[in-house]
Amino acid sequence: MSTTRPGSVAGFAGAPLWIACAVLAVLAVASLVVGEVALSPARLWAAVVGRDELAATILWQIRLPRLLVAALVGAGLASSGLVMQAYFRNHLASPGLLGVSSGGAAGAVVAIAAGAASMSLWFVPLAAIAGAFLATAAVLGLARRGAGTERLLLAGVALSALLGAVTSHVLTSHATLYERNGQILFWLLGGLEDRTWEHVVVAAPVVVFAAALWPLGRPMDLLSLGVDEARSLGVDVRRLRWALVALSTVLTALATAVAGTVGFVGLVVPHVLRLLVGPEHRRLVPLSLVGGAAFVVGCDLLGRCAGGVRLGVVTSLVGAPYFLWLLRRAER
Amino acid sequence: MSGAALSLREVAVPGRLHPVSLELAPGLVVGLAGPNGSGKSTLLAVAAGLSPGAGRGRHDVRWNGDAVAAIPALERGRRAAWAPAEARFEFGFTVRSVVAQGRYAHGDDGAGVDEALARMDLLALADRPVDRLSGGERQRVLLARALATGAPLQLWDEPLAPLDPRHGLEVLALARDHARAGGLVVFSLHDLRLAHGLDRVVLLDRGRLCAAGEPAEVLTAERVRTVFGVDWRIEPGPTLSLP
Repeated sequence: MSTTRPGSVAGFAGAPLWIACAVLAVLAVASLVVGEVALSPARLWAAVVGRDELAATILWQIRLPRLLVAALVGAGLASSGLVMQAYFRNHLASPGLLGVSSGGAAGAVVAIAAGAASMSLWFVPLAAIAGAFLATAAVLGLARRGAGTERLLLAGVALSALLGAVTSHVLTSHATLYERNGQILFWLLGGLEDRTWEHVVVAAPVVVFAAALWPLGRPMDLLSLGVDEARSLGVDVRRLRWALVALSTVLTALATAVAGTVGFVGLVVPHVLRLLVGPEHRRLVPLSLVGGAAFVVGCDLLGRCAGGVRLGVVTSLVGAPYFLWLLRRAER
Repeated sequence: MSGAALSLREVAVPGRLHPVSLELAPGLVVGLAGPNGSGKSTLLAVAAGLSPGAGRGRHDVRWNGDAVAAIPALERGRRAAWAPAEARFEFGFTVRSVVAQGRYAHGDDGAGVDEALARMDLLALADRPVDRLSGGERQRVLLARALATGAPLQLWDEPLAPLDPRHGLEVLALARDHARAGGLVVFSLHDLRLAHGLDRVVLLDRGRLCAAGEPAEVLTAERVRTVFGVDWRIEPGPTLSLP
C-alpha cells in the first residue's frame, strides 16, 4: 500500500461511491414506478415524451417531486449526522437525537402559524434554520464538546421534548380542528405526502451545503480524534468548528423544513458507511450524501409498498433497533 | 534544524499555573518534573500554543522569538508537535493513518511516516485500528505522529508512563537524536532517576516553577524531600540500557 495518501486504497477508493450511486438510481426508478397507479417503465417513458397525459401528471406533479424531496432530505440529514459525530467525537450524535431536528420543526411551525408561509416561499425554511440554530446552541451549551454519550443524549432528549411540546402547542392553538391532527403528525413524525416542486426548491440548497463539506473532510479526520490534537497538528480549529456547526445545522433545518422531523437517518447512515469504508471523512462526506439519499428514498418506497406507512415511522422502525444495538455495543 | 528555542514569559493559567518564565535553547532534552497536579500538563499545553483553562490567563509563549499567538494555525503544525498523556480514539483509524495526520500541515505529503512508524516499532501494527490498541501502543502512536510532523520543538506529556522498559529507552534515544539534530525536546516524567540523566530539569511544585537548570543543581536531596516528600541519594544500582 502506498504510504503517501492515507486511506485511499489504490484503485478502489471510488468504488463504494459508485455502488451507492447505482443503488440510489435503482431505488429512484423503483419509486417512480411503484404507487397507487403503477407506471411501468414503458409508461414512464411515454410520460416523459408526453404521450400519456395521466402518467405525465402523476410523474411530474406527484412522484418526481416526492422522489427529489426524499433524496434531498436523506442527503441533508445524513451529511449533518456525519458532521455532528465528528464534532462531538461520538457515534451516537445525530440531528434527531440532539434535538436539532425538533428545533427546525418548531421554527417552521411557528412561522406557518404566524402566517409567514403565505408571504414568501423562504420564510418557513429560514424559520426552520433559526429554530435549528437555537437548538444547536442549547445542545452546545448543555453538553460541552466531546461530551460523554449520556450527557449528550440526555440534553437531546430534554430538548426534543421541549421543542416537540412547542410544536404541538402552536399547532393545537392555530390549526383548524379538521387539519390539526394531520399537521401535528407531519411535523412530529415526518412525511413526504403531497410534496410539490416548491418543496424541491426549498430543499435544493442541501446539495450546495453538503458539497461545501467536501474540502473539510481532511481536517474533520483530525478533529474527530481530539480538539487539542487537531489544533497542535495545524488545524484552525475555531474556524473549522464554526463551519461545521453552521453547515450541519442548516442541512438539518432544510431537510426538516420540507419533511418534518425524520428520525435516525443522520445516525444510521454515517455509522453504516463508517463500518463499510472506514472513518476517513474525505470518503464519508460524498458517500453520506448519496447514501443518505438512497436510504430515505428506500424507506419511503418501503412505506408506500406497505400501504402508506409514514416516512418517519419507517425510518424509526429501521433506526431505533439499530440505535439500541449501537448503545449496547458502546457500553462494552 | 532551526527554530527550536522555547521561551515562556510570565505564563499563567488561573488555578493551575502561577506566572512562569522559562528560556530553553535548542539542542536540549529537558525533563519536566513535579508531583501530581503540579501543572506539568498545563505548562506543556501552553507551550504548545494550546489554551488550557479556556484561554484565560497570560499565554506569552515564543517559539524561536516569534509570539505563538501570531503564528498562523497551519505553520504552528510545522513548528511544534505536542503528544498528550493519553488519547481516547473514538474512531477506528488505522495506526498508519493517525501517524500520517502528523503531515497535515505539510499538505499530507506522507514524508517520514514510515520512518516514524519504524522508529516507534509500529510497522507490524500499521494497519490495525487505533481503537483496538493497548495503552502503551497508543502512546507510541501519539509519539510517532509527533515525530512525523518533523517539528523542531517536541512537547510530550508523560510519554514514558505506559511504556515497557525497551520502548521507554527507545523514546529517550529518540529524544537524544532529535536534540542532537538541533531540536528541542521537553517532556514530563515522574522518574527522577531518569530525569537526572537529561540535559536540563524543570521542577514544578503546586503550579509554581521551583527550579530549572542542570539536573545536579535542580535535584538536590533537600529540594526533592521538600517537593516530593522522598529521600534522594545517589549510589550504584541496577541499570537498564539498549543492547
